[in-house]
Amino acid sequence: MADMGGGKKGAPRVDMTPMVDLGFLLITFFMLTTTMVTPKTMEIIKPAKPEKEDDRPPVKQSKTLSILLGENDKVYFYTGSDDPKDAAQLKVDSADFSQKGIRSTIQTRQEQVAAQWGNKDELVVLIKAMPTSKYKNMVDILDEMKIDQVKQYALVDLDKIDTVIMQSVHALK
Amino acid sequence: MPKIKIKRTNITTDMTAMCDVAFLLLTFFILTTKFKPNEPVQVDIPASKASIELPKKDIMLLTVDTAGRIFFGVDDQVTREALLSKLAINHNLKITTEMMKKFKNMEQFGVPIEQLPALLELSPEDVSKYRQPGIQVGDVHAKPGRDSVANQLGELVIAGRTINNKIRIAVKGDKDAHFREVEKIIETLRATKTNIFNLITSEKSKAQ
Repeated sequence: MADMGGGKKGAPRVDMTPMVDLGFLLITFFMLTTTMVTPKTMEIIKPAKPEKEDDRPPVKQSKTLSILLGENDKVYFYTGSDDPKDAAQLKVDSADFSQKGIRSTIQTRQEQVAAQWGNKDELVVLIKAMPTSKYKNMVDILDEMKIDQVKQYALVDLDKIDTVIMQSVHALK
Repeated sequence: MPKIKIKRTNITTDMTAMCDVAFLLLTFFILTTKFKPNEPVQVDIPASKASIELPKKDIMLLTVDTAGRIFFGVDDQVTREALLSKLAINHNLKITTEMMKKFKNMEQFGVPIEQLPALLELSPEDVSKYRQPGIQVGDVHAKPGRDSVANQLGELVIAGRTINNKIRIAVKGDKDAHFREVEKIIETLRATKTNIFNLITSEKSKAQ
């Protein structure tokens, strides 16, 4: 029998280049559309609503730090009295959300409380947000509570004194 | 002098291995990808250092956008179906099977309950074009069906929780949303005795 084509028997070669091209094209597409980050969440546990109003246990003023969320990522904080008459003597400071801002304030306050009451966890941070405060700032301050390991904090309504403070802050501008 | 013969051969690289890798990666991306659901609002969520991952199912999502509109959504199609039937009974809505189908694919909505049939009549393109006004919150402490300015958000939350008691509530707020609206949600949740909920945030890098 005649030798057909010299008897060279090789596996038939398929040009893979277009297939690879296509493969990588699709990879690129899926890589760009995929979202790898899963959202994280912050768990908020609110106390159950008291049956009667003003069922809140009183907190000693010397254990508190009130933080007001102002505009332009500013926070205002003070320690002290609930009496609107004292608004003039009250020392209100402002800070921002940087490391040297509110974080150091909270830490200083924790030390003060620790010196006075023996434990830094005695500190109660009262977070007061204005209706127009940014949601971002609320998340930031709650995050700050976690970072500084403040054990007791609460989102509370504005007192009379807080309204006075915010008004004077706005008046100063 | 004899010429040195240079053997010319076509350089052919074996593409098989490369092809294998490409398709392996392709399979991986196809399997892991999850297309972004068609959301009626775009929200830019704030970042935090919180590290708890949001569970993938049994989620009730309350979204607040920059304008303060509130949107409601449940993640599961079965829950959605039950929710719509429940709302239809409570509000005397006429819901066709066609509407039900659309509602099952609707991630979130932000219209007063009475306007749901009208919203569901629209084609998907029109739904995305239509600016939804947001869920009616009204008086936070109003009881459903009894007061004039009903708190429909509260009603939806209660309905969602009765249908699926494992459901978790997640609040997804825009960075620039006002606290006023978030407070409304918090108060509504408290009024419905939902004292545990989650705030959805993105991850913040360690350095910040």
